[in-house]
Amino acid sequence: MLTSNSSSYSNRNSNCSSTSSSSGFSSSCVQVSRDVQQQLVLLRLQPDSSGLQFPEIWLRDNCQCSTCYMQQTRSRLPQGWNYLDPSVRLQQLSWCAERQSLQISWSDGHKSSFALSWLKERDFSPANRARYLRDCYRPEQRLWSGTEFQRIQREFLYDELLHNDEALLQWLHQLAVYGLALVKQAPLDSNVLRNLCNRVGFMRSTTYGDEWSVKAQPGASNYAYLAAPLPLHTDMPYFEYKPSITLLHTLQQSDSPGGWNLLSDAFHVADLLRQRYPGAFKVLSETPVDWADIGSEKNLRFHNIWRAPVINLDANGRYVRINLSIPQRDSHFSVPAEQVRPWYEAMALFMRLANEQACTFKTTPGDVLTFDNVRMVHGRTGYDDTEQNIRHIVGAFLDWDIAYSRWRVLKNDLGHYNK
Amino acid sequence: MLAKGLRRTAALLTSRALGRRQLSARIVDESYVEVQPAKGSGAAALKFPAVWLRDNCRCPSCFHSSSQSRQLDWNHFDPNVRPLALHMDAGKQQLHVRWSDEHESSYALDWLQRRSFDGRSQSKYLSEFYRPRTKHWAGAEFERIAQRFNYDQVMSEDEPLQQWLQALAVYGVALLNGAPPDKAVVRRLAERVGFIRRTTYGEEFIVQAKPGAKNYAYLSLPLPLHTDLPYYEYKPSVNILHCLVQTQSPGGSNLLVDAFHIADRLRQEHPADFERLTNTLVDWNDIGSEDGQEFHNIWRAPVICLDSAGEYTRINHSVPQRDSHFNVPLEQVLPWYRSYARFVQLARDDAYSFKTQPGDVLTFNNIRLLHGRTGYDDTEQNSRYIVGAYLDWDIIYSRLRVLKKRLTSSSNTSSSSSSSSSSSSSSSS
Repeated sequence: MLTSNSSSYSNRNSNCSSTSSSSGFSSSCVQVSRDVQQQLVLLRLQPDSSGLQFPEIWLRDNCQCSTCYMQQTRSRLPQGWNYLDPSVRLQQLSWCAERQSLQISWSDGHKSSFALSWLKERDFSPANRARYLRDCYRPEQRLWSGTEFQRIQREFLYDELLHNDEALLQWLHQLAVYGLALVKQAPLDSNVLRNLCNRVGFMRSTTYGDEWSVKAQPGASNYAYLAAPLPLHTDMPYFEYKPSITLLHTLQQSDSPGGWNLLSDAFHVADLLRQRYPGAFKVLSETPVDWADIGSEKNLRFHNIWRAPVINLDANGRYVRINLSIPQRDSHFSVPAEQVRPWYEAMALFMRLANEQACTFKTTPGDVLTFDNVRMVHGRTGYDDTEQNIRHIVGAFLDWDIAYSRWRVLKNDLGHYNK
Repeated sequence: MLAKGLRRTAALLTSRALGRRQLSARIVDESYVEVQPAKGSGAAALKFPAVWLRDNCRCPSCFHSSSQSRQLDWNHFDPNVRPLALHMDAGKQQLHVRWSDEHESSYALDWLQRRSFDGRSQSKYLSEFYRPRTKHWAGAEFERIAQRFNYDQVMSEDEPLQQWLQALAVYGVALLNGAPPDKAVVRRLAERVGFIRRTTYGEEFIVQAKPGAKNYAYLSLPLPLHTDLPYYEYKPSVNILHCLVQTQSPGGSNLLVDAFHIADRLRQEHPADFERLTNTLVDWNDIGSEDGQEFHNIWRAPVICLDSAGEYTRINHSVPQRDSHFNVPLEQVLPWYRSYARFVQLARDDAYSFKTQPGDVLTFNNIRLLHGRTGYDDTEQNSRYIVGAYLDWDIIYSRLRVLKKRLTSSSNTSSSSSSSSSSSSSSSS
């Protein structure tokens, strides 16, 4: 029997037609071994390195041969899985120096081969997993306070985003990391948002259509379509599938003193709340609120409701989403009466901090303000239209699923992965 | 059925719970307002947090009626605001409140009643109006729970439309029959509800055997149980599959499983497996291109997703679309595989198999059900042809609520004892 530290397979190159000697370590020599107890395969690239580790069952599941994996669809062939036996065991293990691949025979009679480059990319070490998540899954977010706005703010030229993949990648990266990016010098025509969204993927449709116009309308059915100040909010908190990225194209800005944009990184605000008022943080992350929007658009009547806290955390306590909108918070509040007052107290604290942390600026015609609607809260100061000067903003949404997909494809195409 | 339920509630409200003239209200602990029903009515008092009442003042400076939106200045909202005096207007059926911030508010009693903080009314509101409560089923129960609706009726009448959406919400599956052999059927159905949810694969998709396909579903091989697009954070909610041509070969059967039922069984029979499948983040992915646009989708989430109350929010399962990248600590891998194999085995054993016919539209909840199909063989004369599209729950539930309100109000208008007519007659008396 093999012991758990056994490296008894390290010198077996017999399955491979290679004639190279495996004595000693060289750049092409890889030492393979097994940890029988934990059912792991170990690969040592350098004698003094910690090596790569792979669970046996995972290797069997990810066999790359043509009966297990379909290259054309880049996916695992599913039939075998209906009957996958998790007790399948490794029987023989060897390293083929010529093909730089790991060769395995299994107890179910199957044989597999794995290329070193493929294995390296999927090493289970904490460092490699962290690298993959950061570089390939989603970049790490950096939270910021309103006073840091000038430092983190980045501008992109509309034409470059349409024609230069590197600029497109940088824009998406900025949006992912800081949640905010300003696009400059877009023409004042109606195709701008569609062009930008098509460069990434496609627009996210909502009850309000693909694109919507923000213009003061006295009898508006949506509160944003009024000239009154619009306090800090996220768009459409009343959707379970809230639109991810808001794009706002300024066609005409108000000449009145108002119409300023307000923006606050609500993940940063949540951090401050967590530090200074942990009780309030707990209340806002645990109390479900009824967010609602009732109205109609182009003959489609809607009654949207989504119940969720203001601060949404995943199982590890990381922020996944902020919901905030005073007009779109329902008068229905489906929580026990005794939870109501503590929620209001916490909410008032959150609003105060969000306002304190907000940065302000005023977009000019041709600007496209883009921000992460899952994370940022935005608002605007009130303004006055005149007959000659009617503030006009057009908006649209993109989803993170689509934006991250594009970010990954671009990173790969442009060779940005550090492997 | 629901319409009747709501009407009964409305009738109770005016005649009993808030019987006029003997109503009263009082301030409790400076922070609650309690509305007491008439003596002898047997109804319980309604207790409202004062701060909530102030926040929901209905006056034009606090509430914008055309947008149905709160507009009071929250940047200066004081959660310590207190009620100073109450007045109950039995004739108008209104509660008046004077506040410590010098504001005054009025609330209609039926408006208050509908927003009662009583636990039972809240859970009724949530299960009847917010989202219907789901009922889980085993494969053997499929014929009993699967409701069938006529396509033309769903397209032209509100009541069958509501019943279809309600069945879909409760059981996660419903069938329509009698649809014309027209590729536009799925779009027409989706637009009857709201609008199609677009994905990387476009708006409508055609499931037909394509030998060089980039997606595994577009092959004629057996397609084991799975959910669609688990690699999206915002996974499409409901699958609409319109069968235009079914294969005459023995294959092509649909397989369906209620994965919430499978999760229930795991939870009871194999709690450690359940725990692992709810805790371990799996990398779901899809790499390819469609219409010249390359994509690389990844979403990390467990197979069984729970909310903080332990309720199921989503199931993810797809063998082809599970990434070879698996970003968990080494020691979690083998136990996870064992638990996952158990889940797959339970699901496989429970799957109900049937074969849709041309004109059938199969609709099911992609967040909750697993679906698959057996392999089949096309011939030159007989090539299986399915058109599909997605709808999102946000849009479906919205439609369902609008329909419930409409059908409720129309049945109220036709009834002689509607709440609005009785309250207006009382104010004139």
